Amino acid sequence: MEHEQVEKEVARRSALIYLPISIGSALLFLLATAFSGDYPLMTRVGGMVWIGLLTLIVSMPIVISRMKKQLQGKSS
Amino acid sequence: MAKIVSEITLPINGMTCASCVSHVEGALKNLPGVSNVTVNLATNKANLSYDPQRVKLDDMRRAVEDVGYAIPTAELTLDVRGMTCASCVDHVEGALKELRGVQEAVVNLGLNTARVVYVPGVVSTSAMKRAVREVGYEAQERSEGADALDRERQAREDEIKIQGRNLMIAGIIGLVVMIGTFYEMLGPLKAFIPEWLSYKWVLGLLTTPVVFGPGRQFFTNSWRGLKHGVTDMNLLYATGIGAAYGIAVINTLFPKAGFGGEGATFFESAALLTGFIILGRWLEALTRGRTSEAIRKLMKLQPKVARVMRNDREEEIPADEVELGDVILVRPGESIAVDGEVTEGYSAVDESMLTGESLPVEKKAGDAVIGGTINKTGAFKFKATRVGKETALAQIIKLVEDAQASKAPIQKLADWVAGHFILGVHLLAVVVFLFWFFFGYQLFFDPNSSFILSPYKLGEIGVFGFSLLLSVTVLVISCPCAVGLATPSAMMAGTGKGAEFGVLFKGAEAIENTSKLQTIVFDKTGTLTKGEPSVTDVVVSEQSLVKDDQLLRFAAIAEKNSEHPLGEAIVHGAESRGLQVVEPDTFNSIPGHGVEAKVKKTEILLGNRKLMKERSVDFSAMLTRAEALEVDGKTVMFVAVDAKPAGLIAVADTLKEYSAEAIKHLHKLGLEVVMITGDNRRTADAIARKAGIDRVLAEVLPQDKVEEVKKLQAQGKKVAMVGDGVNDAPALAQAEVGMAIGSGTDVAKETGDVILIKDDIRDVVVALEVAKATMRKVKQNLFWAFFYNTLGIPLGAGLFYAFASVVISPELAGLMMAVSSISVTLNTLLLKNFKPSVGRGHKSKQGSGNTQLRSATASVGDD
Repeated sequence: MEHEQVEKEVARRSALIYLPISIGSALLFLLATAFSGDYPLMTRVGGMVWIGLLTLIVSMPIVISRMKKQLQGKSS
Repeated sequence: MAKIVSEITLPINGMTCASCVSHVEGALKNLPGVSNVTVNLATNKANLSYDPQRVKLDDMRRAVEDVGYAIPTAELTLDVRGMTCASCVDHVEGALKELRGVQEAVVNLGLNTARVVYVPGVVSTSAMKRAVREVGYEAQERSEGADALDRERQAREDEIKIQGRNLMIAGIIGLVVMIGTFYEMLGPLKAFIPEWLSYKWVLGLLTTPVVFGPGRQFFTNSWRGLKHGVTDMNLLYATGIGAAYGIAVINTLFPKAGFGGEGATFFESAALLTGFIILGRWLEALTRGRTSEAIRKLMKLQPKVARVMRNDREEEIPADEVELGDVILVRPGESIAVDGEVTEGYSAVDESMLTGESLPVEKKAGDAVIGGTINKTGAFKFKATRVGKETALAQIIKLVEDAQASKAPIQKLADWVAGHFILGVHLLAVVVFLFWFFFGYQLFFDPNSSFILSPYKLGEIGVFGFSLLLSVTVLVISCPCAVGLATPSAMMAGTGKGAEFGVLFKGAEAIENTSKLQTIVFDKTGTLTKGEPSVTDVVVSEQSLVKDDQLLRFAAIAEKNSEHPLGEAIVHGAESRGLQVVEPDTFNSIPGHGVEAKVKKTEILLGNRKLMKERSVDFSAMLTRAEALEVDGKTVMFVAVDAKPAGLIAVADTLKEYSAEAIKHLHKLGLEVVMITGDNRRTADAIARKAGIDRVLAEVLPQDKVEEVKKLQAQGKKVAMVGDGVNDAPALAQAEVGMAIGSGTDVAKETGDVILIKDDIRDVVVALEVAKATMRKVKQNLFWAFFYNTLGIPLGAGLFYAFASVVISPELAGLMMAVSSISVTLNTLLLKNFKPSVGRGHKSKQGSGNTQLRSATASVGDD
């Protein structure tokens, strides 16, 4: 039971970190396209989604595993 | 309170690459009370230590499932006899549920059955039956059921079946989608294909079931892992397939959306990529099981039934129910059920499957027999001395399984690389996308460019579509699945190959270390030599009338009652020449000098120089010859008959039959060979000369052997010590590789990293050659695995696009990765053809005693 609660807490706290990172990277990309060329809007949006997705994929496991170590370290 | 630690080996399903290994390891390590977790991809098993008070099997199962894998369970139905009421049900259920590894036990009183759900490998069916028996009932397996081997095979067959079905769906539809995509380029063939097949929405309709049917596994597995913080190669595939499919759907439904329009509807990429990845998985499932063929062969040796004598009657019972002390009858052609000692009868037994010994071994009353070997000619009875897990075969299987489950240092590195690779690849995909989006497309894009091996032009694709394509290709082409398979598959094949020749490696590290050896240190007595003195020379005096055999016979008669090892050697030497050694009429031992005896009025005096001098027997004519023999390390005894010099008998500890041959082979392999002994320098040098040994460490006390090994290691040499596993245990432990030779079949008690079952020194050469061949395969595999990735990643990232204007399509990237996994596995399978350079076909002395094996079928059991 304790194990499940820790897992839920890990998921919640991690999401608060990796989601802003991913959204932030996506927005940063969108911003970069505004200053670096004449890209059509949909191209910018497509790129933003792709960068956001890849950043999510990269940051999610890193953040979750760190958070897991942190919380499990505290609970034991 | 003392910490309770148990060890457990769990089967794990669903692992496909090295990153899966690190995820499962990570998931298990994170559990409280769990330590020493080692997961092996090739065996699909996890070994770990745990504190049962802090963590339960259910927690482990959940942790493994949470990261997208499974601990498989099996179901078994037992027929339970003797239950009469509801409380019996409770007893039986309780007894079963108490067993570690049993997850569920439901007893049906009406049917007299117990249905048990359990984790295979953690609890055995015999343990369940025993548990039921202990609470007062009888239990039997309901069906000829699944033993460990069958289950493993079943799981593999299921995987082959599932991936085969997926492959058929994805392959056929993918082919149709490809034909539809390239419709315009088919020329005259267009007449046979309906035009509507090229419509984008038709292609979309065809691709959708491929992505969400056979391709679904990649999405579900990667999501399960991702939400628990782990990434595996499913994620690479899911991102690749998902992106290709998603962009194709958008461009089909909204061609004006700005993502490249109809020119960038790569449905065939999504469909064929799925097909190729599944092709890789299917081929991998087909070939992977074959690398563990050796252990499968060993498991198959385990006999199913035994014919036990109970109340003077033969009774056929399951082999795992044989108990210590049971007398078992074996007929010609039958397998021997358990280990034991022959009590009656005479036969020849084929032990080649366990010891590698090519000739059948003679068995008579008092001889040991090994379970799993095959009786050839006669019938005999034997008493069971080791049963169940204690039998030699069970120990060997356990040892080989443990070795296969262990990780070599090189594998730990490969796993670490592969484990961290996937995140790195996603980062690389981001970089590739950003580069082509912001710089590359504007600088290098050529509307006439195309995919490699495809006439498809990239003209309309647009900056986003082009950058996305390259980014996806990088994801797919970088899959490290071959890296993860490279080492464990070769280690599995290598340990199995060793076992085939009676060479047992106690772990993957032992193989790796053995392959790097530079110096082999042999203990002399009992390893290089027979360990007991024997007659080497009989020299008759020119003045004497006695002949060779007569001289030896007189000496043997004089020594008949002696308990001195040299005396025993002379008696044995005479008997082996067929001489009749009668009792002397009188016998007198002269301590420190020799013996004197009288037989039929002939006086025999046997002893050293001093004795002859004291008795005034003049041996001056033979002294030069005696000294020459002594220089050769032999002990010389002077024999006088009726007070006149009759001759000399030399006795020495002689080399084993194949010692010199083995040393020669070791030299050919470029190794330095050292002999270590407590003997004096002269004797040691003589033996070393005969064996062809480079260096002798003589007059070394047993306790100082460790120091000598340390000195060699201090010179920077990788040292193996070969000796018996008992007396030489400390030196064996000190060396990089300890090889225990001639341990027979009680392998579990042996120290040493490598166990040579037979007392044949040539097996040291076999061990080295198997280890070198295995490591060669590991290196070749790693080379090919990294070669594909090293070549593939720059190609996929479009590094050569600026010069050649071609890029790799995602589906070609998928095919390349499938090929990399298969080439690694197929390369490993070549180890099956390995043959050691030392001649194993011809007869060894050990087995040569059975010159005239007589059939004894009539003697026992056939009445």
